[in-house]
Parts: sequence; C-alpha cells; structure tokens
Amino acid sequence: MNLSLFFKRMFALLACAGVVSFGTLRLAAAEHAEPAAAAHAGETTAVEHMEAAGGHAGGHAEAPEPTFVQQFLYSYLTAYMFCLSIVMGALFLVILHHLFDASWSVPIRRVNEQLACLAPVMGVLALPMLILGPDIYPWMSIDPATDHALNVKKILFNRPAFTVLLVGIFALWSFMALRFRKWSVAQDKDGAAIWTRKARVQAAWGIYVFAFSLTLAVFLLMKSLMHQFFSTMYGVYYFAGSVWTTLATVYGIIRWLSTRELKRVIFPNTIHYIGTLFFAFTVFYAYIHFSQYFLIWNAALPEETFWYVKREAGTWWDVGLLILFGHFFVPFVILLRIDTKMNILVMGPMIAWAWLMHYTDMTFNVMPVLYPKGLHVTLLDPICWGGLSAILAYVFWKNFKSAAPFPLKDPRLKEALTHHEVPAPGTAAAHH
Amino acid sequence: MSATAKPYGILARFDTAADIFEAALRVRDAGYRKWDVYTPFPIHGMDEAMGLRTSKVGYFTFCGGLTGFSFGMWMIWFMNKFDYGLVVGGKPLFTPLFAFPVSYELTILLSAFATLGGMLFVNRLPKLYNPLFRSETFKRASNDRFFICIEAADPKFAEARTLLEAAGASAIELVED
Repeated sequence: MNLSLFFKRMFALLACAGVVSFGTLRLAAAEHAEPAAAAHAGETTAVEHMEAAGGHAGGHAEAPEPTFVQQFLYSYLTAYMFCLSIVMGALFLVILHHLFDASWSVPIRRVNEQLACLAPVMGVLALPMLILGPDIYPWMSIDPATDHALNVKKILFNRPAFTVLLVGIFALWSFMALRFRKWSVAQDKDGAAIWTRKARVQAAWGIYVFAFSLTLAVFLLMKSLMHQFFSTMYGVYYFAGSVWTTLATVYGIIRWLSTRELKRVIFPNTIHYIGTLFFAFTVFYAYIHFSQYFLIWNAALPEETFWYVKREAGTWWDVGLLILFGHFFVPFVILLRIDTKMNILVMGPMIAWAWLMHYTDMTFNVMPVLYPKGLHVTLLDPICWGGLSAILAYVFWKNFKSAAPFPLKDPRLKEALTHHEVPAPGTAAAHH
Repeated sequence: MSATAKPYGILARFDTAADIFEAALRVRDAGYRKWDVYTPFPIHGMDEAMGLRTSKVGYFTFCGGLTGFSFGMWMIWFMNKFDYGLVVGGKPLFTPLFAFPVSYELTILLSAFATLGGMLFVNRLPKLYNPLFRSETFKRASNDRFFICIEAADPKFAEARTLLEAAGASAIELVED
C-alpha cells in the first residue's frame, strides 16, 4: 500500500550503497597502490620517453614550482571554462527552442537569450588566455621541431591560429546570440511571425556551427593544456556538462523570477520540464564521460591513457570518484522522482551542488597540468570564480532589465500559457 | 435489456474537447472516485483535470532497471570470472568497466519491459469485455465524440445525472451491466 515510502527507503539505501562502494574502491586502490603505481610509472615513462625522443625532456611530471602568475591564470581558466559553460548552454537552449518550434519554453526563452548574449563579454574575458598564453599552455613554449606530438598538430596549435580562431569563434557566437535577442525583442513590438522564421533559419545552420565551434574552442582553450592528448569526444563531453550546469542555473533563475517578473507565465509544468531536461543531461553527461574513459581504457594507447593516468595520481583519484558519484550518481538518484524535481528545498541545494560539481570537473581538466601531485586549492580559485560570476551576473541583470522579461508577443506564447495548464482541485467553477 | 439488469454506470456524451475538459473538472471537484473519460485522442492536462495522481508505472520501471543492471553485472562476473575465467586483451577477469555497457543496455531493456508490463498490469489489461460496448453511441469514442462514464459503484452515483447535465452533456444514457 505505502509504495512511496518503500521506494523512498530504497533510494536512501542506494545512496548508502554509493557511499560504501566509494569507500571500498578507495580501499581497493590503497591495497593495490604499489603495482598500480608501478604500472602508471611505466606508462608515464613511455610518454616521457616519447617526448624526450622529440627533444622535449622534462614534461609535466617534474613541473617546476608554479609561479604566482601561473597559479592565477590556471584558477582564472578554470573559472572561465565554468562560466563559458553557462553562456554556451544557454545559446544551445535558444537554438533548441527554435529547432523544435517549442511552445512550453517560450516564457523562459528571454532568460536564455540574455544569458547567451554574455558571449561578447566572454570574448573580452578571454583576453588573458590570448595575451598570456605561454604562461598557461605548455605547447606555446615548445619548438614543434623538437616535439613530435606538437609537430603533427601544429596546423592548429600555433599562436596565430589560436588567436585568429578564438577571435573568430567569439565573433560568431556573439553574432548568433545578439541576433536571436534582437529578433525576439523586435517581436515584442509587432508580434510578426517573420522574427520567429528568421530565428528558426539561424537555428537550423546555427546548430552545426555551434557544435563545431564549441568543440574547436574547447580543444584550444582546455584540451591543448596537454597537447599530446587525443579525444574526438572531448568537445561533446564539455558540452554535456555545460548544458547540465546551464539547466541548473536556468532552473534557479526561473524559480526566482517566477515570484517576480515572470509571475504570471511560469507554471508547475514549465518547472517540471526544466527539471526533466536537467535530469536527462545528468545521464547524458555520465554517458559521454564514461564513453570517453571506457574507449581510452579499452584501447590502452599511451597517447591517450596518459591523460587519465595523470588524473589518477595522488588526490586526483579521489576527485575523479567525486565526479563519478557527485556529478552523476547522487543527482541521478535524487532527480528520478517527479516531486523532487519540483521541490525547491531539494532543487536549491541541488543547483549549488551542480555548480560545485561542474567546477570540480573543470578543475579535474585544468589543474593536474599545474599540480600533478593532487588537488591543490588556493584562495585564487574562489576569487576568480567569484569575480567572473559577479561580472557576468551584473551584465546579465542589466541586460535583463533593459527588455521585457519574456517574449511578449511570441506566436506560441498563448499555447505555452494555456496548453498544459489545469486549474487546481476545487477551482473548476472559476475556469473558462 | 431486462428489467432485472443492474446499471453499470451513466454515460454522458460531449461534442468538443473543451467541453469534456470542463466537465472533467466539475466531476473531479464534485468528489467522484469511480469514473473515467473516453476520448478519440489524448487531451493535454486531462490527468490533472481528472485529479489522477502520478502513475505507479514508474516504480515498475525502476525495479526493471535495477534488475537489468544487477543482472548484467552478475552475468558477466559469473561467465568471465567465476565459471570460465577468460583473459581478453590483457584486461582483468572482471571489472565493472567492461561490464557496464552491457549492464546499461540491460537496464534500458528491462526498464522498457517492466514499463510495458507494469502499464498493462496497473490498467488491468488486456480486458476482453467492457459493459460500455453495449452502447451504440459509445462507438464514436474512437472517432469524433468525447464521453464520461460515472460508475454505479460510486457513492455519489445518485446525483450523477444532474451533474453531467449541468456540465453540458449533449446526450446521457444509462448503461446496464
């Protein structure tokens, strides 16, 4: 009879099982620490050997003590990639909305458009990477003639290409985002369908441009930190985590605005759908990250495995497990039920947790280059994260106040407001 | 048919989706329990309009998924490590890593089976006969008309006709069991 209580207990049990297996894995790792370390050392040596053969001895394993500028730039890059996630995720949600001719997401579209319009700001904030590149990216200080891995990739990994491509990519993203917003705001005045039509055409070619440009940008900004690495799915891996984080953020913004500017246009169904997408991307991220790991593990090629081997050194091993359980398992179990996706007491902490987990994921990608021995948190991390977030939040809010809070005359707005909504019990008489 | 037959329920016909939606709201708010809506196509929001709670099918899905995942892990452990240890590609005899894709697919497969089975079970399907088939006009439920049937077993059955008339039914008939 009380099936619901039974399943709540099942969930609790599962969560406990997760924690226990976490501990067990750690123990197992400790038991086999020695042979594992030996094996890793062997592989690392192979990679170092490869590098040494190319004349680039030293590598990252014996990286010198990082300078303050490097520490700052790495913290900055981590925070930057976190923020870029939310902007690009929002651009994706706008494109998706137009591609599917969706109606339910009309009331939340302006928020996504305004988030996507932070793209030009992200372009300006990318200047440290463009100007101080050699302090971040080891490949910028290596002569391609002495490094085989770099030599074969030098068509992409050279400073002119790095600069020109990134400037071009940010110009493209800004162009797309600003046009989406411009047409949407223009429709607020006349309600003409032509604006929807224009946006749909841009979404149709934009989805391809988005996929290729985001992959390229992530290759340049983050993956090139270890330029020997190969992974064609690195772009989609970043994308999956990005949209996940964006949906958490949008959920939070919409819940908050639904008590203010969006009071009359946000309904339980809207919240439910955002929560469902958030849940879907929890699974999608795990699927993609597992696939990347599994294929590399299965093929066992040193050019690829070194990337994860370095991320199993010291406390990076624990960070990896934290991502496995914190980025996937715990949110998956919590978000399974419909009622938890609607409950702000669950979702509030969940949003903060999603931010923390995505930041951890970015740290896992960026920081092992600078701190090969294990997780190393400095005060610069929260400072960079807080600074960038504050700038972006300020610009977002300023832009948001300058236009209507939702597309006022979108042809699908009425559908979004009436289509799925049902008056609560006891209010039938008032409904027409 | 015969005078001794007891009624199964009262069947009301509505002409538009909007009409039946309003009517469902009224029946729901009047506190009826044993009643159902029959429409030629799904109507968005009808679940809430009828006051239905979240479907129990999800629990079947969850159990199916859990079974599939555990079974996949167990099967590969049993076959590759326990029953007939086989080294493939220099990998360990068992690790959740290579068992994962199979377990994942089995999770989805058994979730789907459990969802379908659970849906049939919860709906008590397949059901070969329903007293509503006696009604001539009910045949249009699969074409262009919308119906509400309040069963005689409902404690408020006595007031059902008045309510359905007030809700704007275009025709009302008593269906015998």
